[in-house]
Amino acid sequence: MATNRWLATGNYFTSYKDEQRIYFTHLDRTIFSAFLTLLFVWPFFFSLSNKYMLVIDNILIAMVAVIGLNIVTGFAGLISIGHAAFVGIGAYTIASFCRVIGDSHVIVTHVWPLLILVAGFVGAIFGAIVGLPAMRLKHLYLAIATLSFQMIFTWTINFMNFFDQGQTISVGRVFWFSGKVGRKEHYLFWYYVILVVIVLCGFMVRNLLRTRYGRCLSAVRDNDRAADAMGIHPGLTKVYAFALAGFFAGVAGALHAYLYRGVGIESFSLHESIAYLAMAIVGGLGTLNGSFWGPAAIMTLDLQVETLAEKAGHLLSSNMNLATALKPFSFGLVIVLFLMFEPRGIANWWRIVRSYTKLWPFRY
Amino acid sequence: MSYFFQLVASGIVVGSIYALAGLGFVLIYKSSKVLNIAHGQIIAAGAFITYALTGWVGIPIYLSFFLGLAITFFLAMSVERIFLRRLIGEPIISVIMVTIGLMSILDGLIFLTPFGSVNFSFPKFLPTTLIAFGGVSISWTQLVGVLVTAIMITGFSLFFKKSTVGISMRAVSDDQMASMSIGISVPRVFGLAWATAGLSAAAAGCIIGNITGLNFETLQAFGITVFPVVILGGLDSILGAVAAGIIMGLIQQFASGYLDGNFGLSGTAEVLPYIILLIILLFKPHGLFGIHEIERV
Repeated sequence: MATNRWLATGNYFTSYKDEQRIYFTHLDRTIFSAFLTLLFVWPFFFSLSNKYMLVIDNILIAMVAVIGLNIVTGFAGLISIGHAAFVGIGAYTIASFCRVIGDSHVIVTHVWPLLILVAGFVGAIFGAIVGLPAMRLKHLYLAIATLSFQMIFTWTINFMNFFDQGQTISVGRVFWFSGKVGRKEHYLFWYYVILVVIVLCGFMVRNLLRTRYGRCLSAVRDNDRAADAMGIHPGLTKVYAFALAGFFAGVAGALHAYLYRGVGIESFSLHESIAYLAMAIVGGLGTLNGSFWGPAAIMTLDLQVETLAEKAGHLLSSNMNLATALKPFSFGLVIVLFLMFEPRGIANWWRIVRSYTKLWPFRY
Repeated sequence: MSYFFQLVASGIVVGSIYALAGLGFVLIYKSSKVLNIAHGQIIAAGAFITYALTGWVGIPIYLSFFLGLAITFFLAMSVERIFLRRLIGEPIISVIMVTIGLMSILDGLIFLTPFGSVNFSFPKFLPTTLIAFGGVSISWTQLVGVLVTAIMITGFSLFFKKSTVGISMRAVSDDQMASMSIGISVPRVFGLAWATAGLSAAAAGCIIGNITGLNFETLQAFGITVFPVVILGGLDSILGAVAAGIIMGLIQQFASGYLDGNFGLSGTAEVLPYIILLIILLFKPHGLFGIHEIERV
């Protein structure tokens, strides 16, 4: 987000419209567009192996999901312990299309942008349903409602023959204007797709937060009675926050399904839900750029833990899988440490660094 | 008909363990308004510590049962001391998220031990014959489990009614400011609430471990099923936790006895509590015995 240079020495805005601008100076706009161009252009100069491309794609998908989680947990202040289930709803929407009309039917392979959108809306519907208790309850109970949704989701998928009892359901390769997207350019292709989706989502949320509907969310989070007195319906606002979170989660799930070319239940377990929550907390709850920092940090940590576990596993030479132990441990530790020592997350570090460099060499 | 009574008997067995586990959960919620998401992990940890004492160290099982309870008592107390004491005064949402983090940490620690991957079972110390009673048969382990649960719940109720510490805990749950002004140390009461919760969780874990064997998945799932139980009973009512525990045990047994295999269903006992939970949250959010202080939003 753009730095607000005008606020360094006081408030010089003369209209509300001024204050709501996304870019405050031309320099901000230039830097931001240069950064975006860099993100789109770098694959022409470096080529990463598929392994690293997959990691980057995963981080980007997690960003889409965490943007959704940040709306519900950060902006609306409702804990969601079932976010992976909403991501799963999106992925299984694609999977059910594949089951009904075949995984290489023309709808699945050619009209996939529409299907991703459909998955988002299905996620939004489920989000609204799970959020319904919010009409009567405060956040404590909602956390349990989302947890139970996670359990019901896992059970339903494992139970239904239609979904192959949670076994992987394959999704066909998609087509682009240049023809079928092959194995070589698969990850690169999806890198671009997800990047476009993220840019769209980022602007969507950024704009949402400066409209009435976005400010409703933080009004209800900060004081629901005051919000009620101002004519905002707190219950409906919470349902709507859940629906929005469900939408982003659904889109993330659909992207996940296409990227992995398959949908299996193990990617949408309770552990994944906690991992998403860890990403949102580490990034910084209630900030948009926190939704980008968090997934990057946690996924990198995840990768490091995996390498460490592999190395240590050789030393220990035991039959147990060290990674299954170290992953939840490190996630939990990161959640707890951040909440205890830096509740505002990495986004806050970013803010500090930025204001420091802006004023350097002066202290203030 | 005897099938029905058999289901009732095993429902009461399972339900009384739910009651014991739910008791600890309610204790923490009553005193500090914190939902302890890591309760299932504490249940598992208590059971595993007890097994480690008897199976690996070689302490007799009766003694290790008490030792295991004592260790979990101090474990839960130190969890409160290390992680939650600092967060007093922070928004309740971040405290709950800390317990989510704790759940993940304890998960990781348990996976580091052999308990994460291997199933153990407690040594048999009770007669393995079944007790038949008018067509209903239950094992000695189940009977002793129910008895221990009943004794512990009675003990806890007496503790809260009669002892000074128990009364101060009730005072804190009623009004923190007022109890502070008459000289009760509120943080100490929080610590004690966690410790007693750990104690009851470990007892519940040991009883399940004796009945079904020590499987981390089972113990963890059991810990999560405590949520529907306490919501059904009303989050802040001990009586509610006991009643709802037994109701939930019966529902699960009837579900697996009558629903499974009939309409092409299977494993309904795992999912039914959560469906009930969602329905209760929609229509009767304060549960059966909870105080009606939940404000509508």
